[in-house]
Amino acid sequence: MRFDWVNILATVIFVSIVVTLILAVASYFAYKVREARRPKTAAELRQEGQVKVFFDQYQPK
Amino acid sequence: MASTIKKPLNPRFQLLISIALIVGVVILTLCLFWYRATLGPFFVSLLVITLASFLLLLILRHFLLIWFSYLHQRELAYEEVLDRYPFVSIIVPAFNEAEVIQASLASLLELRYPYYEIIAVDDGSSDGTYEKMREFEGNHYGVRVQVFRKENSGKADTLNYGIRRSRAPIVVCMDSDSRLTPDALRYAVRHFHDPNVGAVAGNVKVINRHNIWTKLQALEYIEGLNIVRKAQAFFRTVNVIPGPIGIFRRSAVEASGGYSSDTFAEDFDMTVKILAEGWRINYEPKAVAFTEAPEELLDIIKQRYRWSRGILQALRKQKHLLTRSSGTVTTPMSLWYMIFEGLIWPAMNIFANLFFVWIALLYGMTKLLVLWWLLLTVLDLLVAIHAILMEKEQLSLAPYAVFYRFFYILIIDVTKVFATLEELIGLDMSWGKLARKGRI
Repeated sequence: MRFDWVNILATVIFVSIVVTLILAVASYFAYKVREARRPKTAAELRQEGQVKVFFDQYQPK
Repeated sequence: MASTIKKPLNPRFQLLISIALIVGVVILTLCLFWYRATLGPFFVSLLVITLASFLLLLILRHFLLIWFSYLHQRELAYEEVLDRYPFVSIIVPAFNEAEVIQASLASLLELRYPYYEIIAVDDGSSDGTYEKMREFEGNHYGVRVQVFRKENSGKADTLNYGIRRSRAPIVVCMDSDSRLTPDALRYAVRHFHDPNVGAVAGNVKVINRHNIWTKLQALEYIEGLNIVRKAQAFFRTVNVIPGPIGIFRRSAVEASGGYSSDTFAEDFDMTVKILAEGWRINYEPKAVAFTEAPEELLDIIKQRYRWSRGILQALRKQKHLLTRSSGTVTTPMSLWYMIFEGLIWPAMNIFANLFFVWIALLYGMTKLLVLWWLLLTVLDLLVAIHAILMEKEQLSLAPYAVFYRFFYILIIDVTKVFATLEELIGLDMSWGKLARKGRI
């Protein structure tokens, strides 16, 4: 049986381009999800005008 | 700098917009395949001509880059020895860099330069960076190390803070996760002999070459970024002074108003402002700074997303320079080139890949597909070998050129296109600091 190297190579190129594009879009999607889940740093909260307060300060009367 | 605080969108809503964008682009792409039956031979011919033009443009781009970078290399062939070296201040801004800050400062004390000081500024870190910096404070064989601490306000503001505390005529701005080679300053400073030179871009190299991602980035820095800077330097209009090593004439920084905090690419923004003031910007390949590259794909995407949106923000801010410039005519050209490389080229690259796949599927033009792949791969290999030899880099990086365009650059380009779309619709973004592994 004779191998048609051009067709084999073309298939490999075709599959790798499609897989890379899928990987690229999926990775970008995963990055966006990760960033949305990431808790904001104190600096980011400050930049947005929010103050990170865990407890109200005790004020003796 | 006065800025209005915009109420950010809900993160979930932002994510939904991003997902809608991704889905929209994917659907549009699938439509290209779906419309195959309606395309006539004229339209197909038109597309083939477009693709042929793309290939021609790619070859021309590579040829011009190689030619001008070669000319710049020839200019640097003779070493200009200065009879007097100017005093230099090195500004090291740091925010939560406890893993790497000591290695970085230690490398700065080993520089072979007669007359310099180090100004390290902690940008309100919470991981003990300041305490680690303090261990270096004082005089080290004639090199004075000053350490400052301020409230967190971002990298641009931290660099300005350091520059204000320096009195040297030449200022080096770097990242705290970078390491300069001992002769970096000596080579970079010689370009300031020309009074028109306002800044010099250094040569950034990847230090952590452990896995395929960092090796591909190492190749990208050599083949993709440095060769472009070298070619631009022939015209003295380098359009990005990299964050890990930028050497500035103090008067140029002052004339441009210092670093701005209103973009996510403060280094590009600063470069554009210096060019706009009419200064020339050169590149010094021997002023090397090693930097730690992201080791995982999602971190690379995070970094490139920020670069892409930051560059767009700076371009929007300085859009008046696209048509006129108080400096040289090369400034608008340099900015147009940036638009081409940052916006048009990634979209063209994705389109070209999709189109070749499409015609291969539709018409069975497998020979064309193989020929196209072979042509680009050979071209990339040749450029990679040329760039590696010029930089006296590891030749073992050359085989990675095979995966470079069809795998790595395609992923980066997809990120660039999505980042561009998100910037155009004005989606919120944060700095998103990369976690360091402490490889330097």
